[in-house]
Amino acid sequence: MKFRDVELLSEYLDGRLGPSDAARLEARLASDASLKAALNDMRETRGLIRRLPQRRAPRNFRLTPKMAGVRPPTPRAYPAFRLATALAGFLFLASVALNAFTPFAAQRFAPVAAPALGKGGGGPAESSEAAPAATEAPPQQPFAAVEPTPTAESPAAADLATAQAVQTQDALRPAPTTEANQAAPVSPPNPLTASPQPAPAPIPVPWVIGLGVVMIVCAAAAWLLRLNNERRIRNRWNQK
Amino acid sequence: MRRMDESALIHSAQSGDLDAFNTLVLHYQDMLFNTAVRILGDDDLAADATQDAFISAFRGLNTYRGGSFKAWLLRTVTNTCYDELRRKKRRPTTPLEPDSPDGSDMDAPRWLADPALTPEQSAEAVELEHAIQHCLDNLPMEFRTVVVMADLQGLDYTDVAAATRAPLGTIKSRLARARLRLRECLQAFGELLPSAFRLEGELAE
Repeated sequence: MKFRDVELLSEYLDGRLGPSDAARLEARLASDASLKAALNDMRETRGLIRRLPQRRAPRNFRLTPKMAGVRPPTPRAYPAFRLATALAGFLFLASVALNAFTPFAAQRFAPVAAPALGKGGGGPAESSEAAPAATEAPPQQPFAAVEPTPTAESPAAADLATAQAVQTQDALRPAPTTEANQAAPVSPPNPLTASPQPAPAPIPVPWVIGLGVVMIVCAAAAWLLRLNNERRIRNRWNQK
Repeated sequence: MRRMDESALIHSAQSGDLDAFNTLVLHYQDMLFNTAVRILGDDDLAADATQDAFISAFRGLNTYRGGSFKAWLLRTVTNTCYDELRRKKRRPTTPLEPDSPDGSDMDAPRWLADPALTPEQSAEAVELEHAIQHCLDNLPMEFRTVVVMADLQGLDYTDVAAATRAPLGTIKSRLARARLRLRECLQAFGELLPSAFRLEGELAE
């Protein structure tokens, strides 16, 4: 049998042949037993497929928001907090960078560190380091000398401290003898001129810390807002 | 589902309403799963293909522009079936089993539990289903898709053509060839399934 006939039978079976083609085929079917048999075979086959049991879905194929890639709508305040976080973060980083790169920063911390060393009384080895900084701290010398230090190794330590004070005062005068003298001229008047007037105006440390805190608080608020919102929406979706 | 309800649901789903889409899922999931089972011949693969089909249908819902939604969904599921077959070919997870027309090593499907059937009838029904599935599996994919859409899902020729993106003439000839091949294949099971064929023969008279 030609394949064209198979096609004709298939279409005829589905009622897809035009009236004239159908009439012509029916005439052939009446006279051609093998063609008729082929038609019956095909009808049987189609019937078998049609009668295949319809399998039911073994589970629900409903999509969860996650599967669908749906993001729950973000709360209205969320972008504001996100923007605030970004701004605070930028300012925080900018001020940290500014403070770090301003030469002032290095000088600013020097007088803070120096009296601390002077106050502790220090060992003999430290005397040379303490000397240049002590130039601007004459009021602290009596303080260091008079007050017994917490670690106070007794009069010996106090004597040392007074000795240092004397030494440093010597160093201030143009009398190049001790090792302290070598350190002093290296940084001549800088500590004296810089500390009274902060010329390049860096960001005060409390401000920087404040910016950091604002940044963290805003980020946490944004995150909590979204988390809470997602949980709420997921609950609503799950209830349905 | 009424046609108007369906288009309203599709419209809502197109604007992102997942609940509306899930109503459509519940309506069509049996049809899609059944199609996938017949194309893939494996329940687990078919379930995966069905789930993937609904996911990609939701994501690509805006490419649906009217016409038969059923045909559009069938196109989606045949695509995911192709993907499953390709994936299976790449890394076969189960060893090839010898074809067993008697189905003795296969799990009994749920419809076997039909109380109206005697055990003999149930066994015959299982044999018949396995024989048909075996013959479907032996068809080339594009023939299988057409015969499943047309004869199992009762899709119109034009809808099959739309769903497979093939010309109408191609669909007609594929369907004819698929039926011919199925017939030849099933004849080999004729002795195993005498009553089923006899019954079919009587109906055909």
